[in-house]
Formats: sequence, structure tokens, C-alpha cells
Amino acid sequence: MTQKQDPQTLAQQGDTRGSAKLSRDTISAATVAVLCVLLLLSARLVSPALGSWNQVETVLVLGFFLVVLSYGQGLVILSGGLDLSLPATITLGGILATSWVGATDPGAWYLLPVVLAVCGLVGLVSGIGIVWLRVPPFIMTMAMSIIVASALLGYTDGTPRGSAPDAAVWLMKSTFAGMPTPVSVLIGFVVVGWLFQSRSIWGRYLYAIGTNLDAACIAGVPVVAMQILPYVISAICAGFVGIALVGYSSGATLRMGDDYLLPSIASVVIGGSSILGGRGTNLGTVGGAILLTTLGTIISALGMEFGLRTVIEGSIVLFALLLLREELFQKLRTVWR
Amino acid sequence: MAFAQHQTSRRAGLPQMLLRLTRGAMLIVGIYLILYAFYAYQQPKALTFSSFGSLMNNTAPLALAAAGQALVVISRGFDLSVAGVISICNVTLAVYAMDGPGGALLSALLCIAIGVTVGAVNGVLVAVLRLQSIAATLATMIICQGIALVILKAPGGSVANWIADEMTGRLWKTIPVSGLVVAFVVVVWLMIRRSRYGLSLYAIGADEQSAALSGINTRRVRFVTFVLAGAIYGLAGFMLSAQTATGNPTSGTPLLMLSFAAVALGGTSLSGGKGGVFASIMGAAVLMLLQKVLFSFGIASFYTGMFQGVALICAVVFSGLLTRLGEAK
Repeated sequence: MTQKQDPQTLAQQGDTRGSAKLSRDTISAATVAVLCVLLLLSARLVSPALGSWNQVETVLVLGFFLVVLSYGQGLVILSGGLDLSLPATITLGGILATSWVGATDPGAWYLLPVVLAVCGLVGLVSGIGIVWLRVPPFIMTMAMSIIVASALLGYTDGTPRGSAPDAAVWLMKSTFAGMPTPVSVLIGFVVVGWLFQSRSIWGRYLYAIGTNLDAACIAGVPVVAMQILPYVISAICAGFVGIALVGYSSGATLRMGDDYLLPSIASVVIGGSSILGGRGTNLGTVGGAILLTTLGTIISALGMEFGLRTVIEGSIVLFALLLLREELFQKLRTVWR
Repeated sequence: MAFAQHQTSRRAGLPQMLLRLTRGAMLIVGIYLILYAFYAYQQPKALTFSSFGSLMNNTAPLALAAAGQALVVISRGFDLSVAGVISICNVTLAVYAMDGPGGALLSALLCIAIGVTVGAVNGVLVAVLRLQSIAATLATMIICQGIALVILKAPGGSVANWIADEMTGRLWKTIPVSGLVVAFVVVVWLMIRRSRYGLSLYAIGADEQSAALSGINTRRVRFVTFVLAGAIYGLAGFMLSAQTATGNPTSGTPLLMLSFAAVALGGTSLSGGKGGVFASIMGAAVLMLLQKVLFSFGIASFYTGMFQGVALICAVVFSGLLTRLGEAK
């Protein structure tokens, strides 16, 4: 022991600290993935049409919206906030895409980034209100949601016009590299999202802020910018979902985003993130979103009524919450060691 | 300090009680009166009993929802299940309509029972199983919304005539019944506010650990809070059904965000331990009155949301500034 230890053992010793954290995240991510596969396989027993490769594709196409949306929500929750303005921002993206881009020139794909920028602006205002005016995130994003929704109501006079831009239709209804385009885009999105959240300095900053804002500030994290950034990203994701929804259903409605707020929070929670921030992985969140979508398609394929489906979804969220309790993890760790 | 206040309040008479009622809510009551003056200036008929009564009818469901929400927020929690409870009560009253005064009483009790049940589930999840209140009530809300959809698939059905007529009417053509229901909740709040439970509620909201160390059974207080809040949501669902006279499985959803808005507008801090039920009810009243005032100024109803949102942000920033000024002294 008096002699110098070789670097390999040192590295192994250093590793043990990370492995505890890793095990928690991998446990939750793995649980969600296993549940997904089990659900699809067990659906096959009920009806042979279910659980086929075609159905996996359907789930991925339908899951596209929720995965993109809950990535933004996940970043905001990771940084210690909550974004309630998602439904209004989805609708904003959808309505700008139809009533503005679609109505003036459906082929103008270059206007879609402008739509995303407008959505990002909503997130920027929320972020600024939260950081500089010190309005609690819950209130600020809720107020933005009410404001944007009412502005849209005024802008469209209650009935959105226009049609879906060509680029949005292409995004949702074509094939690319042998897969439906949304699936390819989804894979790219998840990879980039993972790189940002888990492998970039900004991602680490967000974990630091969510764990302890004061400590992060002292450690030299640019807290102001890093607190605002998740809201901007989340709003852009929501706008993107709005455009994609328009491409999928060929039109926008004023309530098109309403059904997505709770599932976006639910997927983050199911994916093993703490609602208080500072913990969670985006792969877990993606798993949570896919799990919720799988469940939805299976239940509707079985012809179950919508109410029962909602009850089951809520129970799954509750089940996940109880399963992911901190005490349980500590118990599991002590059992396994 | 709290003990001293407790002692004086025992000795205090009615004027003292009125003063206590408005102390925390002075700002929001003032805003309400100013808004009402604007409203009466624009629309002189605003001062009639019938128009005040209809304003009360519009306000009552949100006011009650905000009252229940305020209890949970004071204890440093969030309760999203408010939307689910109101929806379930609404569809229940529309599907199983019971006419007559006896039926109305039974309906009200049924609504309260629904609220208490959901509240008890929330209480167990948050107080005993130690789940985050926002996440736990999110789950119960989704489940409740599903149950409401199972009871009634699409908007329809009709609430018993007696409830729809009498609960939105006026006693002796002056006092709105809906106002009396809200007043009843305020009186109950005033009675329990300085009780052992009321003080513990503020204590666990301000600092749960010190509250537990000073001998408060935090689990029980938290549990009771969710149950009480649930009971008030049940009442809110009852009043909403009386007002709309029909069933809608998603009728509670719009009240979710507005209940938080009312609580925040009333000056109750979302980080717990501060604020009150009466102020939150007044917050709800201001939100509803704002709609009327904007309408009377000829602003399209499309844009009321914008004003509500901006008012909300301003209120929170303003009360935050006041608090910081107070702390700086």
C-alpha cells in the first residue's frame, strides 16, 4: 500500500463513485425499455396483428411528437423548472405553419425556421421572467401559456385557416433511408439530444443548476444563460411538434396542443427523472414517451374506451412514481452489494 | 409570536376579526374594489342585485377551487387533482340527477365525498409514501379525468333542475346563494385558521423540519390538508354543475391553471407558509371581474387571456418586490 498504485486500479477506484449514479439511471432506463418490449410482445398474444414490425413503426411515428416534446420538458425539469406553456407553444407553431406559411406559400420551407424562432421567443420571455423578474417557473410559464393562447385566438378569429406547408407533410408522410422519415428524424434527434444533455458541457451545467443553484453559481456556471436556455429549447421543440402535427393531420386547431402537456411531464417522470431537477437522463425520458405511446396504441387497438385508457395511463404514472422512490433504490443497492 | 397572536385573537371581538380577515388580503380586496368601480362606471347596471348575483355565480366555482388549492399551497404543495375532482362531480351530477332539496343535499354530500376520497388518496401518496405532491397529484388527476370520461363519454346530460335554479338564485331577491356557499367556506377557514391545525399548516409550509422538531405531526397535517382541499373541490364541482346545468367530462380542466393564478394573485407564495384562503378567493374574484371589465370596455373576449396573464405576472412581481422590501428593513 505504501507503493504507488498503478493507474488502472486508481481509475477503478475512481469509478465506484460514478457507478452508484449510473446504476440508478440504468435501472430506470432498463426497466422502461423492458416494459416496452413486454407490452408489445404480450399484445401479440391478444391479437396477432399487434406486435408486428409494422406496429413498431406506427408506435415510433406516433411517439415522435411526445419524444420531441418531452425532451424539452425534460431539460426544463432537469434545470429545476417546469414548462406549462407547451400546449400554447405547440399551437403557436402549428398555426403559424398553416395560417402564415401555408396560406402565403406552402412551398416556402425556409420560413419554417422563422416559425421555430418565434416559438423560441416565447421560451426566451418565460426564461427572462423567471430569472430576472424572479417569477416562479410554474406561474411564469402558465401566464405565458394563457397569453399566447389568447393572442392566437385573436390572430385567427377563432378559426385557423390555411393548409399544411409541403415541408411539414414531407416530414411526416414520406420515407427516408428505408424508414418513415419521422422515424429517421427521431433517431437523429435522440442522438443529438443525448449528446447535448449527457456529453456536452452545457448538459453538465444543467445538472449542476438543477442540483444546487447556489453551488453552481459559485462553481462558475453561467447560471443566468443556463437557466434561460432550457425554456428556449423547450419552446423550439414544442414549435417543431406543432409543425409536425400539422404535417400529420394536414391542419391546425386552436386546441391541438392541449392533450400533450400532461403526457410530456408524465414521460419525464416515468423515465426516472426527479421532478425537482438535477437528476434524470434523456434516454429514460425517451423510453417513458415511447412506453406511453405504445400503451396508447395497444389500448386503442384493443378497442378500449378512451376513459379507461386514461385511467390506465394515470395508474402507470403512479406505479412508476412508487417504483422510482429514492428509498427503494437505496434498498435495491444494499441488496445487490 | 404565533402564540401571542393566538392569545389576542381569543379576546378579540368582531371588529378585530374583520381586521384580521383583510390584513393579508388588503391589497387584493383593494384591487377588486377599484376594478368594480371601473365596471360600475362603464355599466351602471353592475350595481343591481341581479348583475352582482350573476357575477357571483360565475366566480363561485373558481373561488372554491382556489380556496382548496390555497390550503395545499400554504402547506408547500401543489394539487393538480382539482381538475379531476371537479370533472367527476360534474359528470356524476349530470348522469345521476337527483331533484328536489333533498336530492340537492344528497348531491352536495356526494360531491364532497368524491373530493374527500381523492384527497385521501393524494394524502396517502404525499404524506405517507412521500411522493412529490406535483407528481403524485398529476397521476391522480389523470386517473380522475379517465373516471370522468368513463362515467360520461361526451358532453351531455342535465343537472337536476332544483340545483340549477336554486343554487344560482338569490335569497329574498338580494343575497346570491352561490355567494353564501363561498362565505361558508371563508367562515370555516377563519375558525380553523388560528386552531392547532391552522398553525401547524403554516408551520409545515414554512419549514417542515422545524415543524416536525417542534412536535407537529407533519404527516397528519399534510394528509388532513389534502382531504380538506378535496372536500372544497367537491363543493366547487357542485357549484359549477349548478351554473352550467349540464355535464362535461373535461369541465374541470380550465379551472386548473386559473386556480393557481387566483392563489398567486391573492399573494399566496407558491413556496409555502404564507398567504391565505380568503385572499385566494378574492384573487379568483378579480380574475373573473377582469373579464367583465374588459368586456365592458369593448375589448374582444379573445384577448382577455392576455390581460389575465399579464396581471398574473405583475401581481407576482409586485408582491415579490413588497416582500423583499419588507425583508430589507
